[in-house]
Amino acid sequence: MKSNDTIHGDPARQALDEAIVAWMAEEEWRDEEERFNELALRLFAHQFEHCDPYQRFCLRRGATPNRVETWRDIPPVPTGAFKEIALRSFASERTVQTFRTSGTSTERRGELHLDTLRLYEASLVPSFRRFVLPDLEAGRRAPNLRFLASSPMEAPDSSLSYMFGHLCERLAGSGSGFDVIGGELHADALIDRMAEASDSVTLCGTAFAFVHLCDALSARNTSLQLPEGSRAMETGGFKGQGRNVSRDDLHTALENRLGIPIERIVNQYGMTELGSQFHDSSLRDRERPRRKLGPPWTRVLIVDPDTGRPSPPGQPGYIVIFDLANTSSVLAIQTADLGRGIENGFEIIGRDPEAEARGCSIAADELLSDNAR
Amino acid sequence: MKPETVSHRLAQLRKSGLGLRERSASDIARVLAEVVDRWSSPESVWRQRLVSELTPLAGFNAGLMERGLEVGLSHWSGPALQDLVHRELANSQKTMVSGFQITAVLLAGSIPMPSLIGLVAPLLLRSPVLAKSAARDPVTPRLVAESIAEVDEQLGDCIDVVDFPGSDEACVRALLAADCVVASGSDDTVARVAELLHPYQRFVGYGHRTSVAVISEAATRGAALETTAAALSLDVCLWDQLGCLSPVAVFVVGSDADAKTRLAQALASALARAEERWPRGDVDGSTAATISHERSEAEMRSAAGRSVELWASTTTAWTVIAEEDPSLRPNPLHRFIRIHSVDDMSQLLSALEPLGPHLAAVALEGFDLNSDEWTTAVAKLGASRICPVGRMQAPPLNWHHDNRGVLTPLARFMDLELHTGKLS
Repeated sequence: MKSNDTIHGDPARQALDEAIVAWMAEEEWRDEEERFNELALRLFAHQFEHCDPYQRFCLRRGATPNRVETWRDIPPVPTGAFKEIALRSFASERTVQTFRTSGTSTERRGELHLDTLRLYEASLVPSFRRFVLPDLEAGRRAPNLRFLASSPMEAPDSSLSYMFGHLCERLAGSGSGFDVIGGELHADALIDRMAEASDSVTLCGTAFAFVHLCDALSARNTSLQLPEGSRAMETGGFKGQGRNVSRDDLHTALENRLGIPIERIVNQYGMTELGSQFHDSSLRDRERPRRKLGPPWTRVLIVDPDTGRPSPPGQPGYIVIFDLANTSSVLAIQTADLGRGIENGFEIIGRDPEAEARGCSIAADELLSDNAR
Repeated sequence: MKPETVSHRLAQLRKSGLGLRERSASDIARVLAEVVDRWSSPESVWRQRLVSELTPLAGFNAGLMERGLEVGLSHWSGPALQDLVHRELANSQKTMVSGFQITAVLLAGSIPMPSLIGLVAPLLLRSPVLAKSAARDPVTPRLVAESIAEVDEQLGDCIDVVDFPGSDEACVRALLAADCVVASGSDDTVARVAELLHPYQRFVGYGHRTSVAVISEAATRGAALETTAAALSLDVCLWDQLGCLSPVAVFVVGSDADAKTRLAQALASALARAEERWPRGDVDGSTAATISHERSEAEMRSAAGRSVELWASTTTAWTVIAEEDPSLRPNPLHRFIRIHSVDDMSQLLSALEPLGPHLAAVALEGFDLNSDEWTTAVAKLGASRICPVGRMQAPPLNWHHDNRGVLTPLARFMDLELHTGKLS
């Protein structure tokens, strides 16, 4: 598409998209605060004007484009709202893609409506290259890039499948492909393929798919030693899977079963509601603590739930993400995840699995998901 | 703690059980009735010790815990215990009742009343008890054991407490060598324990449950409104809404569109007052994040034109949301309550259907409970208790928790057929 095409029928939005895509295309990542603030405020003003429910939400909080002076003051929308409300900053007839959050048939699923996939695509490739394939030379493709997920053909409303499909198209070399077919992980074929690989292997998939792969290796009483340079990127949790494995245990199992050192296993923190993703720093920066890092067109705030203000450095709080790739919906997203800032990044703090309940009540969301199973 | 220690304690208790079974059931019941009286007395030193020792560990406000014990034990007494024994175990001449040689009790949570009755019940059947304390409450079982020993030394030798993490599989397996096993906890925990037992062992599991309140429009009008709201506030605040008898949702029945809002507003005021008197206890960061998220989500739905209203403290201490429809929604607990309106009983029953077997109590206010209509409907849902609002945290000693008896699940019955007639 030519850069002067007005895909949105709105020159202001077009100009914003162009400016953001241009930033995403820059080879060198520069953390320019002023640039981010200027684009975030312009995008907020646009979304305030074009997304009615968001405008009313902001007005209740006394936030208008005239009053909001920095990106930190832009009201974030909770991820749960995407299950209830179509948060579009464009006319609905211009929708080109709707991504849905994962869930069972009886559960409400969140929906992200997009009038362009350009920003989504422009954001994901540089982040993936930087944090998962930092050693891949420019212009080269990664051999044996395997995706433990359904292809976009099989799961057209999955943002994860779309992401993997685009990465496959842009970065995958020989021996690459999808290993979930018809909803099933074809673990045996993948194991055979990996056992024969002479080049490094890059595995990308949901955490739960990796658990299935480890189960299959265990069932075959097999452990592999993948070629040097192999790595894995896992994402997502275990909600609704009826089984929970800690991230540490998963990484240890992958190291033991596949011979991939833990520092070459990267967790990706992303969600359907976001156009950009965050990745573990482990492949890029081995000297400093593992933490989540994002591209310069994003910002993260850790917010104290009791005050609504940013938590003191190092203290936990819920994670709020500001993502300039979200031009179609809203750029500020409040997650229900707990995190803590570490240096220039952050870490996710999961619930302590050893923490015993103080009472005997079952929270209604657990109940509802139990019945949804 | 080593698994050998657990096994040794079990062996000791088995020996103590020999003496216990020499005594009459009525003698044991008399002793335990005295123990219950000592706990239920408002001046109980055991309660005072419990509050001072458990408060820092359990994360509840001390005043709230005192009030919780006062309300929770208000119907408990020695005579009530004797009545329970009579109702459940009064054997006819043709049935003999006994307990198991030893009962293991795996406790959960830090609400004391279930632990108290959970430890007394096997002893009433003359079965010694080895209890595993809950991670957040090592105090209650120890104090219950001490209070029993204070009244009767021999009975005190028939109860012991072990502390080890639930993840210590070797110790768990050692404990599960008991003839009868009682386990409380999440459904997953209960299922995990059940898997570790032999078919010949008796197993009694208590999974997590939840409760709701159902209010008639009449109870939201005039002077009744404040009374209803105050009573509901107590039900929500006690044990910070973490008990299985704590309401997670309130349903207002009728066609008055304003009733829900009236009640929500009044309940919000009552919760604000309660927060001043009994500040909510600890919440972990994840729960606080979820509360904040659910509030923002309600705000967003309201902004999108849905009929949703939010009342909340400036911190995450309490939250009231008047919902647009009857569907149950996620509830992070810790004084977070949603109020729904339903037109009639059939709509209510549909709304409660997802609770399935997890429903414990239904508080009813403003209805004619002499009519069978409501009780029959609630029974169909599977609830084990109907009570007025304000009394949700005060179940009687003989409450059929999980629709079962208190003592009968722990008992062995033997029928005597002594007639001499021959089959023709």
